[in-house]
Amino acid sequence: MADFNAQIEKSKQEVAAARQKIDELTSKIETAHTKMNAGQDISIDIENATLDDVHAHTELMGANIAELIMGLDDVTATFSKEFDAMRSKTGWETFIGFFSKNRSDSIRQERMRGASIDDKLQDLISKSNTIGYLLQEQLNTLNEHSKRVESNLGDTLAQREQSVATLEEIKKQLVAMDPEIIALENKISVETDAAARTKLESELAAMNAKYNQLAQDEQVKLAESQTLERYIEKGKTWVDSLQNQAATQMVLINKLQTDTKQRVVLYDALVKSLKTAQQQDVAHKINEIGVATDKEAQSAMAAIGSATNQRMADMMEAHEDHMVFARKVLEEKAKSDERFARRFQQIVEKHDKNAYGA
Amino acid sequence: MDLTLDHRKLEEAHETRRYFAKFERIISHLQGVAEAVVSENTALASEIPILRGYLEALAGTFTALSYKYLLAGRVSDKLPNLLSIDRQDSGFPIYQELLEMANDAMQAEIHLRSLPSMRDLKLAMVDHILREQTAPVNLQFAASERQYYEQLTTASLFWARNDPRAAWTGNVSEKRRKYRVHWAVYDSQQNIPLIYVMDLEDSGKEALLKDERRWPRVQSHLTAQSSSALKLVTIARGFDRDFADLHPKRLRRFYLGPMYSHTFTQQSGPLRDVLSQAGQKPGDDWALAWTTETLIASGTEQESSGFFSTVERQVYALDPFAAPGDEPQDTAGHSNRQRSLILPQRPYQILEELDPPGFSHIRKYAVSPMGKILSYK
Repeated sequence: MADFNAQIEKSKQEVAAARQKIDELTSKIETAHTKMNAGQDISIDIENATLDDVHAHTELMGANIAELIMGLDDVTATFSKEFDAMRSKTGWETFIGFFSKNRSDSIRQERMRGASIDDKLQDLISKSNTIGYLLQEQLNTLNEHSKRVESNLGDTLAQREQSVATLEEIKKQLVAMDPEIIALENKISVETDAAARTKLESELAAMNAKYNQLAQDEQVKLAESQTLERYIEKGKTWVDSLQNQAATQMVLINKLQTDTKQRVVLYDALVKSLKTAQQQDVAHKINEIGVATDKEAQSAMAAIGSATNQRMADMMEAHEDHMVFARKVLEEKAKSDERFARRFQQIVEKHDKNAYGA
Repeated sequence: MDLTLDHRKLEEAHETRRYFAKFERIISHLQGVAEAVVSENTALASEIPILRGYLEALAGTFTALSYKYLLAGRVSDKLPNLLSIDRQDSGFPIYQELLEMANDAMQAEIHLRSLPSMRDLKLAMVDHILREQTAPVNLQFAASERQYYEQLTTASLFWARNDPRAAWTGNVSEKRRKYRVHWAVYDSQQNIPLIYVMDLEDSGKEALLKDERRWPRVQSHLTAQSSSALKLVTIARGFDRDFADLHPKRLRRFYLGPMYSHTFTQQSGPLRDVLSQAGQKPGDDWALAWTTETLIASGTEQESSGFFSTVERQVYALDPFAAPGDEPQDTAGHSNRQRSLILPQRPYQILEELDPPGFSHIRKYAVSPMGKILSYK
């Protein structure tokens, strides 16, 4: 199965490449996270973390592994060859069959007796396990990554909540400042005293400066919140994609495991039943010839044997020739037992009555 | 059609642990029972060492599997690798588990080389516990893997197929040697261990064990033929036919199972009631059936082979009272069958009280909590 091994190698490489791509993307997202924590701009990092590449590759890998699982069918095709061979005669056996049917049958039976598919089952299991490990490893990677990204996202979500709260706070302050400013402006417009007016105007200027400051803060926070939102979007998509991949992986593993289990049971059952059907009746037929001589010994043994059992005789009722004979033996034995008991009873009675010589 | 319908996966870690604890106990009792059963129909004294050997191997296999699955359910929450057992008429792990174990054993060396040593693992665990203050599940898993692979390389194990071994037991005459051959398989249909013991006479020119032309063929023939679906007479007949100068005189098959347990397996009939009534206390709700089938050659006949030579063929005494059936292939393929049931005292008492029909011919071995074994008819 060089073909299979080559395909396994190919799939291993694909899996490794896919994992590398996944690693890259997660690390990009994580770098963005650390940068963000350090307060740097991360818009570019987010733009760079594109999923398309990963998706394309994952699809390729999935197709490859699916093909591998289908490839197991080729391994199992050898089983059916084996079964066919067990059912039919080989060329040599057919040839022998022209001269002697018995000889041909007996060669075939000998072949059947020696047949075993244990090593093939072992091979099937080991191949299926190899694919299984491959899939499981990939699944573990996917799970690990989705956990990592999820925990990152958790942090970021908290961060975003905070920044949104700050934004709200600023907005509230801005809204609260509006009436104050209007009131101040009104005051200025009605104020006639120059000194008081100057004081009010400087107050207004300070307030305006504060307002502008707040408005600027609002812009900054808004931008930050938007970046965070984009980061979260990206992360969510990534987690979704990871989970999707994991689901596909699980479907593959499940199919593989179920298939293999069923196959092992099925092939084994087939071989065993073929063997049994082929041999069992033959062995009995052959032994029956020998049994004829055995019957003598059996009847002798029964004469010596211990207590009889009526239920056994009943059980024998509907049986084959051999059984009927055994029943006859039993009945004879029962009769002799009875006779013995009767005689024994007489002896007992005689003994009890101390009737010897009486 | 689902062929794995009667397989059951042990989902929880504590379930797996309880299952293995139960089996460990049962196997330790089995060894005691093996000592107590010496009789013509159950096991000869000279067969006890063979049985003991296989029982120890079986215990080794169970220990290995218990290490393998000890933490498997906890490391990966998605699609964990779980132990499957056959819950109908077996109670033992499925055949595939043993095949997988053999696959693992082939790679044990590689794993042992890459896994850190036990001491390092334990240090890392202590480290993890003190620093992270959580259970070091992954390290525990690594440790269980290490134990598993060590068990695979060091302990004697019961494989899916244990190839025949033979011992010379004496000479009948100068040209006829006697051998005792024994082998064991894990039956793939019933999922229970079967042990075979065959006494054979060898009239070949070369001694069987030194004969590289016959002995490997004998081994592969016997393992290929040892399935529980084949009757003893079929196996012995086939062997007799295929090897003209080997004469199987006595063939014996031990079925070590099924194991019944109210928690783990599905049973019908009277045993179900017995076990369900005994099941209030964990560890008390099991019973293990042990069957010995014997086939004895009652004589020989000469059969012509080719034009000038004859070969000796055995004639086997069959039990005329066993297994009623209309077809000739339904009749019994053995001379004698002794069934025994090993169970703890409590279910034994319930069994005696209920006295269900069909159990009167079975020899019962009641096991006390201290491990003392008493045998009742």
